[in-house]
Amino acid sequence: MRKKHILSGLFLALLLVIALLIPAGSQQEVVLTIREGVPAISLAVPPFIYDGSIPRAKEAAETIHQVLQADLNYSRVFSLVPREHLSYIRPLNPKEIFFKDWESIQTRILVVGEITQAQEKIVFEAKIYDVKSERMILGKRYQAEPEAFRLVAHRLADELMKIYGEKPYFTTKIVFVSNRDGNDELYMMDYDGANQTRLTFNKWRDYMPAWSPDQRAIVYTSYRAGNPDLVILYPYEGKMVPVSTKGTNFSGAFSPDGKKLAFCSTRDGNAEIYVSRADGSNIQRITYNSAIDTAPSWSPTSREIAFTSDRTGFPQIYLMDAEGGNVRKVSFGGDYLDSPAWSPDGERIVFVSRVNNFFDLYLLNLKTNQITKLTETKSRNESPSWSPDGRHLVFSSNLSGSIQLYSIDYDGSNLRVLTSQGENKLPNWIN
Amino acid sequence: MKKLLVISLSLVLILSVSTSCKKKVKEVPPPPPAPQAQEQPRVEKVEEPVLKEPVLSEEEIFQKKTLEEINQEKPLGMIFFDYDRYEIRSDAVPVLEANAQWLKNHPTVKILIEGHCDERGTEEYNLALGEKRAKSTMDYLISLGISPDRIKIISYGKSQPLDPGHDETAWAKNRRAQFLIIEK
Repeated sequence: MRKKHILSGLFLALLLVIALLIPAGSQQEVVLTIREGVPAISLAVPPFIYDGSIPRAKEAAETIHQVLQADLNYSRVFSLVPREHLSYIRPLNPKEIFFKDWESIQTRILVVGEITQAQEKIVFEAKIYDVKSERMILGKRYQAEPEAFRLVAHRLADELMKIYGEKPYFTTKIVFVSNRDGNDELYMMDYDGANQTRLTFNKWRDYMPAWSPDQRAIVYTSYRAGNPDLVILYPYEGKMVPVSTKGTNFSGAFSPDGKKLAFCSTRDGNAEIYVSRADGSNIQRITYNSAIDTAPSWSPTSREIAFTSDRTGFPQIYLMDAEGGNVRKVSFGGDYLDSPAWSPDGERIVFVSRVNNFFDLYLLNLKTNQITKLTETKSRNESPSWSPDGRHLVFSSNLSGSIQLYSIDYDGSNLRVLTSQGENKLPNWIN
Repeated sequence: MKKLLVISLSLVLILSVSTSCKKKVKEVPPPPPAPQAQEQPRVEKVEEPVLKEPVLSEEEIFQKKTLEEINQEKPLGMIFFDYDRYEIRSDAVPVLEANAQWLKNHPTVKILIEGHCDERGTEEYNLALGEKRAKSTMDYLISLGISPDRIKIISYGKSQPLDPGHDETAWAKNRRAQFLIIEK
């Protein structure tokens, strides 16, 4: 509690500074750079207004309200004004908003939502106000069937992220492998674990999926022909294209610019890294080494690749140019490091390290060369993948006894489980 | 006259002896009556003669079995590896020699060598390591005179443990190369 007070004090001070910096009457939104531990933009989402005579209006109002709040809470860009603070002020009247009331409970952004009906369909209308300037900064109307109520909330949360210059990701999907139907198959789900959907239906093993940056294609390893082939699945087109079918082919990763595909293959006899065009054509080998070179992860500029190699006897993390030149080792110490994933801001690489048979996630800061331990669970935490904005990570862990997917924030807080059916592993959010 | 008497007496004697002999013959019971034609015919069993199966050669027995049956018998022993290593251990050599001999005895057989790892590695690294284990196993069989055309390799990484446990006993069993007959 005490910490919270200090934080809100800090936040108030920050608000004051911002208020002084903004010239009166300016509509310019200030983009805050988040600092660890400091709550960012204070935002209030009073319950949405609905007409009880409209079928399913209550369900829509409650679902969208709950999901939107969960999104904004998760973001770490916004901090929600506690619900009990709303009882200190007059009830919201959308026709005449008393902005001073909202200011008094430290609200900077007010989200007003209302459910109406058009052509027998639910319509959600949202108005976003800047409390200080008493202006509407965004208005949105969404029409949706009940199964898309969650998506409506995610869309609005994305709009709020965009206003503040943040990378929106609430409508993105996490692809992963699950054996819940008896065999390792590909699935995808919303970032929050909702809407888990099966993508492949076969008797063989499907493995190590990774999205293209537009989330229209998935590169993965399929044992479809009795061999671990690298294939690209276009789930919305119902199309699958083989890329490399000789040797063991795995660890596929599309470049963030969407132009290239890196993967690991033993097609020439040893585990090496290859790069092709995004459609799988024009395969070029970029490592030449008798050791295992694997787990390529692109830099956000698509010009460099982080990877794992055991050329010194133990798996360690290396960087190289996307053409294979300029190889340098960036991890020192530790005898088993793997699964590097380059953060979207380019500054950090998350990786897995084994110490005393426990696998934990670590962050390597490329600027300071410092390594920070991210998880401490005495279990096997594996396959980390960043959220598009770099504030969160998804990974697999046997923390509960069975292997499930978890998400955690970049500073080690907010650990939460996303799956429970069968065993779930190899999640990929971006890269 | 006296001489005549002797002869006649002896004749009588012989005759009497012979008659007594004849009498003995007559004492033999009469032969059984001839079978009557009117009697019911005996039931004849009509049966296909049973052919005794000839003894099959080992090769013929082998060809009769399905691939599944052969694999269930596990004619090729699996071998194990040290943690994070893919070199052939000395205890694996006799197993591989026996496997090579079996493959020489069954020259038409083609096999798949599966490389497996324990859970104490990441998915990516283990997939590469499993392949290295399968490959070093294949290379050893080739060095024992088995044609590379008869061998395929695959890596399953850590996805197919033999023992689901989480201790060294389980891990030691899971770090392995095992053999599957895919053609005979």
